[in-house]
Amino acid sequence: MSAGPYNYSYIFKYIIIGDMGVGKSCLLHQFTEKKFMADCPHTIGVEFGTRIIEVSGQKIKLQIWDTAGQERFRAVTRSYYRGAAGALMVYDITRRSTYNHLSSWLTDTRNLTNPSTVIFLIGNKCDLEGQRDVTYEEASKFAEENGLMFVEASAKTGDNVEEAFLETAKKIYQSIQDGRLDLNAAESGVQHKPSQPGRNPLSNDQQANKDNCAC
Amino acid sequence: MPVLTLQRSYKYIMYATKQPSLRIKQADLKCKSGCGFYGNADWEGYCSQCYRNHMDVERQKKSHNSQMPDQSRAQMSGFTKFEEKKRQQTDKKNKYLKSLPVFRKSSNVKDSGRPEKYIDIMRQANPDANKLMVEFITQYSQYGDIVKKDFFKCSQAFSNKVINELEVKPIEDLAETAQNYYNLYQNRVNSNSIYEDVPSEIREKLVEFFEKYTMIILYSFLFCPPTTNDEEKDLAIQNRIRKLSWVNAHHLDCCISETSIEVRDLVYTAINDLLGMDSMKAPLEKLACVVKCCRSVVEVLQHCQGGPVSADEFLPALIFVVLKANPARLKSNILYVTRFCKDSRLMQGEAGYYFTNLCCAVSFIENLTAESLNNMPEQEFEAYMSGELTCVSAWESALVACEGMHQLCEHLAFLKELSERTQIVQNTTQSLRDDMQKLKEGICDSVESVLERTPLIIKPRINPLTLTKEQLFTQTTQYGPQIETTNEVNTCTDTDIGQNYYLQNLSLTQINALDSTKNKLQLDITPCITLPEISKALNSNDFLSSSSAVDNKSIESITPDDNSYLGLSKVNYDIDFSDLSTENSVAEDLTPEKRKSPTPSFVIGDPFSPIGGSCPIAQTPLVPSSVFPQIESKNDGFVLPFLDDTEENVEDSLLDKVEVAPSASLPAPLVPTSSEYSGFSKQGSRIPNIPCSTGDFSSLNFAGNSNM
Repeated sequence: MSAGPYNYSYIFKYIIIGDMGVGKSCLLHQFTEKKFMADCPHTIGVEFGTRIIEVSGQKIKLQIWDTAGQERFRAVTRSYYRGAAGALMVYDITRRSTYNHLSSWLTDTRNLTNPSTVIFLIGNKCDLEGQRDVTYEEASKFAEENGLMFVEASAKTGDNVEEAFLETAKKIYQSIQDGRLDLNAAESGVQHKPSQPGRNPLSNDQQANKDNCAC
Repeated sequence: MPVLTLQRSYKYIMYATKQPSLRIKQADLKCKSGCGFYGNADWEGYCSQCYRNHMDVERQKKSHNSQMPDQSRAQMSGFTKFEEKKRQQTDKKNKYLKSLPVFRKSSNVKDSGRPEKYIDIMRQANPDANKLMVEFITQYSQYGDIVKKDFFKCSQAFSNKVINELEVKPIEDLAETAQNYYNLYQNRVNSNSIYEDVPSEIREKLVEFFEKYTMIILYSFLFCPPTTNDEEKDLAIQNRIRKLSWVNAHHLDCCISETSIEVRDLVYTAINDLLGMDSMKAPLEKLACVVKCCRSVVEVLQHCQGGPVSADEFLPALIFVVLKANPARLKSNILYVTRFCKDSRLMQGEAGYYFTNLCCAVSFIENLTAESLNNMPEQEFEAYMSGELTCVSAWESALVACEGMHQLCEHLAFLKELSERTQIVQNTTQSLRDDMQKLKEGICDSVESVLERTPLIIKPRINPLTLTKEQLFTQTTQYGPQIETTNEVNTCTDTDIGQNYYLQNLSLTQINALDSTKNKLQLDITPCITLPEISKALNSNDFLSSSSAVDNKSIESITPDDNSYLGLSKVNYDIDFSDLSTENSVAEDLTPEKRKSPTPSFVIGDPFSPIGGSCPIAQTPLVPSSVFPQIESKNDGFVLPFLDDTEENVEDSLLDKVEVAPSASLPAPLVPTSSEYSGFSKQGSRIPNIPCSTGDFSSLNFAGNSNM
């Protein structure tokens, strides 16, 4: 609901995916509240969060959807992916199994989002160096092979969390600038601010141009 | 191309109808026609574009083949469905809406379902729409009549178009029409000069209001339309949820604690919010219900796990709530919102997020298998589903558990009360103990003070001891006759330690001395007995018989009836013998076993006490005389057989019962027997004939045997 004063130019929709317990919610919370989730017990649900950031002088509102990571919900959570401009794929560097599942998460993401969706790989819990189960090099190689951006972060300390979200936004913005991402497609996960409806009046009739989704 | 993408997009939310295979295969998602876009089952495996083309082709075929367009078919089936829906609707209303906090009168506004009448009815008989109109006028009239006119013009155009197309186009097309009009109006608001003066926030509200108003007008046509199988889906999911009533929070790995009262209240709130969705008309309002419900769910989770909630926990909890709520016309509601809510709203924002979650939950329930419930065994799952296994549903058992908890609480309170009372008792006990301690100390103190005042009490104890040992015999000689009498008393009272001690010493420690004396006695006695004058013996016998029942044998043996020296000599001889055998234990004869033999010796000794004067030894008569009363008492006890049987340590008891036992009666029966007496040797065999067979006789018999 883009009601209210438009002090931003774009809305990007992010989804955070990954196995259960890798710290998806914590990352989201760290990014939106700049606090570690466990430190603020009175926080209400963090499954949905927003924050306005600035990229290249443009204010962008990030809407982040947390998703359930349980294997048994995988089949039904496809609707989460719809219209996501960015997907943060999270694994836990201290648990090898969460890394091993990445390929299936990637498959889902590729299948259910549009090609311009930016996928960012995050190795969470990098503060727990002592318990590391997945090396940086290995994950880095995986990211390179699949054309993903990659960073190791810690939701607890906040290391690299901001960077991950911002880099994703930059990449998306870049895509917009390059014209690779069609702003008018609802699935792009990007909404332009309505004060600049820009193109097209309605082209009546059944060719209903909702491409003008300048909503 | 963007158009196609969009058209497809808003359907995704609903059509995750595949079985929940763990991996989604690319092929499963693609359109049947191979256009490269995703298809789904609701569109017969096509993507939206291909499906529409497909449907157009089908329609054209039909219209060519028969002049009856499928419109009529839809209409016919539509009527029956309308009736069915109406029934179902009222049923559900009765069932659910009473409990709803947000009940809104959604009267069966226009169920007449005739396209021709639609417009008229729409105008007149929709109180909700009228209410909204009033609301609009009050809120937005300040922006001028022209805004109002334009608004109603647009909404009128939109609803007319939808109604005109209602029977002709599939619902998906109507949905697209609606989306088009939303966007048209939005663009109009943002670009048209009419709305120039309207601030941007109000513009946004106008757009929302447009959607709301038109949808409320069109609700009865677009919600669960007869041209679709929405209603069947409703019934299917309703049955499905009913069948799944046994699923509990545990199965879903959901941390909702069903026993907590607070949590249950919150869950009920969430359920109510979800049920409220059905009573709302506009998609916006329905979405608001979903958001409210989801916030309640978040609150529940926060309550249960006491911390922030993530999507990992949220989705299972929402599934749980949906299962427990079994909302009316769930599927219709979701489809309605999906079709007619503004597209962007569903993809973004909080409402979109929660609605997406709701769709996920419903999809999960539809495709739920044993595998998805904590890997429950397939058989168990089947048993539950078929109703073979009817475990009490967790929700019901939670109620039972609550009752149990309630009782438990009551019991705990009761126990607490009890423990308090126990504490009081313990306290009073403690104080009592303290008092006792004080009392004891007080007594000790007073005793000590008394002892201090009279420290000499102990000394007398020691002095008599030394005295008695040394002057034992002198005392006895001096007070011989007196001791006889006092002993009885003293032994009982136990106070005069001196004399008592004397007795004890006499029995225990002075044995050697006594032995020596007795040995002397024997030596002295034997001559006395062998050579006695009969008169003296007779006298003594008289004395014995008269004084007490000493010993039957001795009495009999000494009775004057016999008048034979032989008998006497025999008797004397026996006496000596027994005397020798038992001389060592003067005191031991107190025990019943020893009574048998020693008694005669003393009896014999007794007669000598009067002879004491003639007897050269002064002490000899004293010993028997001092013991005599005991013997006497023993004999008394002897008469009573039960005394022998019962009491081992007869000493005390015998002494106690000396007075009780009738001693005088004994001699009488014995006297006649003595007349029959024919000799001591015969006595043993005769004894059984004696009518009064006391223990005494048996002992005598034994003694006699031993003597023989």
